[in-house]
Amino acid sequence: MSVYKHEYRAYEGRLTPAWSRIAVLVRYGMAEAWSSRITIGLLTLSMLPIVVYLVLIFLANNPIARAVIMRGSSAILSINATFFLRVLISQCWLALVLTAWIAPRLVSYDLADNALPILLSHPVSRVGYVVGKFIALVSYLSLATWIPCLLLYAYQGYASAAPWMGANLRIAIGVLIGCGLWITLLSILGLALSSWVKWRMMATGIIFAAVFVPAGIGGIIGAILRTKWGLLLNLPVMMTQIWQRLLGVSAFNRIGAGLPNVAMAGALLLLGLVCVFMLNARIRAREVVRG
Amino acid sequence: MSVIELDSLEVRLGGRPILNGLTGQLRGNAIGLLGPNGAGKSTLINTLLGFHQPTRGAARVFGLDCHRDRARIRQGIGYMPENDSFIGNMTGVRFVRYMAELAGLPPAVALERAHEALFYVGLGEVRYRNVSTYSLGMKQLIKLAQALAHGPRLLILDEPTNGLDPIARQRMIQTIQDISKAGSIRLLISSHLLRDIDETCDEVLILKQGRIAALRNIEEERRSHRNFIELETAGAVEAFAESLRRLGCECASFPGGRLKIVMPDSIEPRDLYVLAAEHGVQIRRIHRRRDSLEDIFLRAMENEPARGELVRL
Repeated sequence: MSVYKHEYRAYEGRLTPAWSRIAVLVRYGMAEAWSSRITIGLLTLSMLPIVVYLVLIFLANNPIARAVIMRGSSAILSINATFFLRVLISQCWLALVLTAWIAPRLVSYDLADNALPILLSHPVSRVGYVVGKFIALVSYLSLATWIPCLLLYAYQGYASAAPWMGANLRIAIGVLIGCGLWITLLSILGLALSSWVKWRMMATGIIFAAVFVPAGIGGIIGAILRTKWGLLLNLPVMMTQIWQRLLGVSAFNRIGAGLPNVAMAGALLLLGLVCVFMLNARIRAREVVRG
Repeated sequence: MSVIELDSLEVRLGGRPILNGLTGQLRGNAIGLLGPNGAGKSTLINTLLGFHQPTRGAARVFGLDCHRDRARIRQGIGYMPENDSFIGNMTGVRFVRYMAELAGLPPAVALERAHEALFYVGLGEVRYRNVSTYSLGMKQLIKLAQALAHGPRLLILDEPTNGLDPIARQRMIQTIQDISKAGSIRLLISSHLLRDIDETCDEVLILKQGRIAALRNIEEERRSHRNFIELETAGAVEAFAESLRRLGCECASFPGGRLKIVMPDSIEPRDLYVLAAEHGVQIRRIHRRRDSLEDIFLRAMENEPARGELVRL
């Protein structure tokens, strides 16, 4: 099938392995998100706090800066688990903003123009399709969360005079697990909600609402029934508690301190399962042309 | 080897049988899939693509089980769905390349073949425009281009001329005929339009209420039927008709000098003119009808004709 001949020619060349079809979905998903200037702007924005934290780590470890600015007091700025918890919290909430913008772009174009019957008529399963979109979103969120956090951790280890990294390994593990949990949850939530809303801007709003509206309802339940279990609907409080416990900073925020780990894990698991169910139901319904 | 093999295929959706015990082997180069609305055409296509699991029996494409080997089958199938199905904010070439890569072509090859496929279907000049800006005819063509780009062994076209104006329809039919003639690709074409199937297919599967109403080789059907001719005449028509009967023709007269004749193989149309001249009859119009797909379809449907079937000619 040459351009000048305009004749049909069968393809007899090599084929890529089956697993790499998911990589195609990831690549095109990432390119789609990257084609928006707002995505680039948000990613740049998410790097700004990292620059600030980087400067703070530099100052904390620089003897001249300590002497001049902090007058030799390490209490003003100490690089410890609390510092990294602040980094983690700021980056994770920026990740929510990124999710609200990127997730609808990954899914809604496919659904708006009914592209799923064509996409899934290729050797890609429903699960493969969702996994491809999920990896694309997780990759962007990783750029704003655990990757810069761990780079800060590595820089602190490098800049610190004392052997710091080995002694604070829990921070790195806590950051990795805490970010991993959050971006996994956000990605599933973002994709599930985006798949049910036709308009991208509305999907963006609904993703924010899905995080904050149940928190308000949980607060009302807690106030009326005088119970702590209403906090299980409060994702911001639950995640802050989880991050605190992972990094071993119990005194940072007392709200939700009474929630047991099992209950929080159960609530997050339930949320994840509901999202997976929603996603499956929606994609299954749209994968074939009905008629 | 048969392209599609149906072995007591039964598919139920929501507990309701949609395909009911389909059995047959489709071997044609271009297979037409006909039937009224709700006959099960789309369900059969979706089953062949592995979207629906057979409740009973099996369907095979090139010997591969449609459910168990669906990934391998999809590798070798190009599918053009009936409705709008594309990614509107992508350019034509990017969309076709994306689909080709999903089918397993390496990125560079996919790009090359995307360009070629778009030129092949006639969208070469608009390949850098976003698909959402295409006209309805162009959208049909880009669906065809993406189905072709990866070089499938079987091309499934669901209502390929849906919504096209006569010129665009003719162009689509011509393209399908070209693909069919190329020979390296088999076609399964689902349509309401008997004319589309008649012009493009050599075998037809007619479904009715989830069952096979007919499975025919169109070309053989045409060859096996006698010549059927319609005449518009002026003059001594009755005497002319009588002479035709004596020649061995079956002949029916209608008001206005119209005659319908079934000629034996030994009689040529030229003989009609000779006979008409002998009787002083003018033949003003002669229309040689083939035994068309319409007849095959109507025979298949005749058991239950009054169901408001949406079949257009």
